[in-house]
Amino acid sequence: MQIIEALVSLFQESGFAHLAWQNWVMIVISFGLLYLAIVKKYEPLLLLPIAFGMLLVNIYPDIMYDPLAIATPGGEVIDASAHWYDSGVLRLIYCGVKSSIFPCLIFLGVGAMTDFGPLLANPSSLLLGAAAQLGIYVAFIIAIATNLIPGYEGFTPVEAASIAIIGGADGPTAIYLTGKLAPHLLGPIAVAAYSYMALIPLIQPPIMKLLTTDKERKIKMEQLRTVSKAEKIIFPIVVTVVCVLVIPSTAPLIGMLMLGNLFKESGVTDRLSDTAQNALCNIVTIMLGVTVGATAEGKTFLAFKTVLVIVIGLLAFMFSTAGGVLFAKLMNVATKGRVNPLIGSAGVSAVPMAARVSQVEGRKYNPSNFLLMHAMGPNVAGVIGSAVAAGFLLSRFG
Amino acid sequence: MTTTLLKQSISMAEALSVSVTGIIVVMIILALLAVIVVLLSKTIRLFESKTKKKTPATQTEPAKAPVKSENPQAINNGQPLPETQSAGTLDLYKTDEKTAAIIMAIVSNESGIPLNRLEFKSIKLIEE
Repeated sequence: MQIIEALVSLFQESGFAHLAWQNWVMIVISFGLLYLAIVKKYEPLLLLPIAFGMLLVNIYPDIMYDPLAIATPGGEVIDASAHWYDSGVLRLIYCGVKSSIFPCLIFLGVGAMTDFGPLLANPSSLLLGAAAQLGIYVAFIIAIATNLIPGYEGFTPVEAASIAIIGGADGPTAIYLTGKLAPHLLGPIAVAAYSYMALIPLIQPPIMKLLTTDKERKIKMEQLRTVSKAEKIIFPIVVTVVCVLVIPSTAPLIGMLMLGNLFKESGVTDRLSDTAQNALCNIVTIMLGVTVGATAEGKTFLAFKTVLVIVIGLLAFMFSTAGGVLFAKLMNVATKGRVNPLIGSAGVSAVPMAARVSQVEGRKYNPSNFLLMHAMGPNVAGVIGSAVAAGFLLSRFG
Repeated sequence: MTTTLLKQSISMAEALSVSVTGIIVVMIILALLAVIVVLLSKTIRLFESKTKKKTPATQTEPAKAPVKSENPQAINNGQPLPETQSAGTLDLYKTDEKTAAIIMAIVSNESGIPLNRLEFKSIKLIEE
């Protein structure tokens, strides 16, 4: 008899008795994402921890339990017996996302891995990086326009700004801005941003083909000049000074990106550069990925708002790609046929995938064409562009 | 303006205004950076060319200085390099010439770029 009671008690405490249908749906979705990461190798370094975090939180939601959630708006804790260390383990790690530490540290690593040489060799790439932020602002208008849907309250301006930043195709920037403006949307926005970044080879080529002619796609670009070490060292300092002076709220992202790059280019901090590129970046990626995935708890994630975020995020990506390609076409006309418009799509951040797409598409139409280094310019400019766009939105709505 | 934007909802006209301002701000900042980069590059190159001119002609060249060129095809006395030859000077570390030639041929074949458009700087054996 005792055995039966023990078994009943065990069942009542198990996930089978507690999980809602939404949790089961999310578990299946996490399996799908794990499949994409492991078998299809779509952004596995990010998608795998995100998918696993999603799996964990939907099997055991208390892993993100926050005892301090019952606090007054002023931050005063009502339950005196609640302590921060009683939080679920992933909730504790999630503090790094909430406080924006993780996205900024990722930017430090990205900076240490980035070679701004192609951008310095062709400074007009910066304009492509700016034009490819078009999707952010189009998505903002679309998100606000959801107010017009009958019977739906729509998105607030801060939510719309957070959704729009998906168009920047930059995971850390999206997480940084959403964490500041609309933390309740962090799960859907992070999942959408990283999923679309992984799907860039599928999303961009049809738009690139639609907006360019066969003749334009075959254009061969001149070889880039060699950039001196002095230029590479001065660049991160100049960018920090200009961007942060104009839009101070870009300081955390641009500052860390450029600090990482200065570690790399200065040549006197090899150990720091190595740590930022490898150990630090990997550690933060694990913690960021798992905890962002863990924000996708079924009961809160599966909502109409999530569907809208996913759809608007895709539109943002598409418009950003179109913005870059169309501006590259304009530059091609202005330079009398010296710019291959396919490099414009690389203006969305997503380093280096977007540049690789330009290279692959270019070689399809002209096998002797080598666009990778030309596309890397707009690609790294896109990182700066999306950080500036995020800083602008933060300064307006933060 | 900022106060009105912090409210729960904004009109389409306000949203449009934010979007147009946003894209203009991004464009202006990155255009400003582009101008600064151009000026910076010109200044640095001017300074470097002056420094080179001041260097005495008798100064000995470093033994293994690699040949730098903006266009590898321009080396070889102004004549384009044959497709089987790469540009620049290659430093070999614990690697024999035959292995280096094989590696260069593989890179050229896999990337689909003719050797005369590639510039190898060094090939180093990594011992485990």
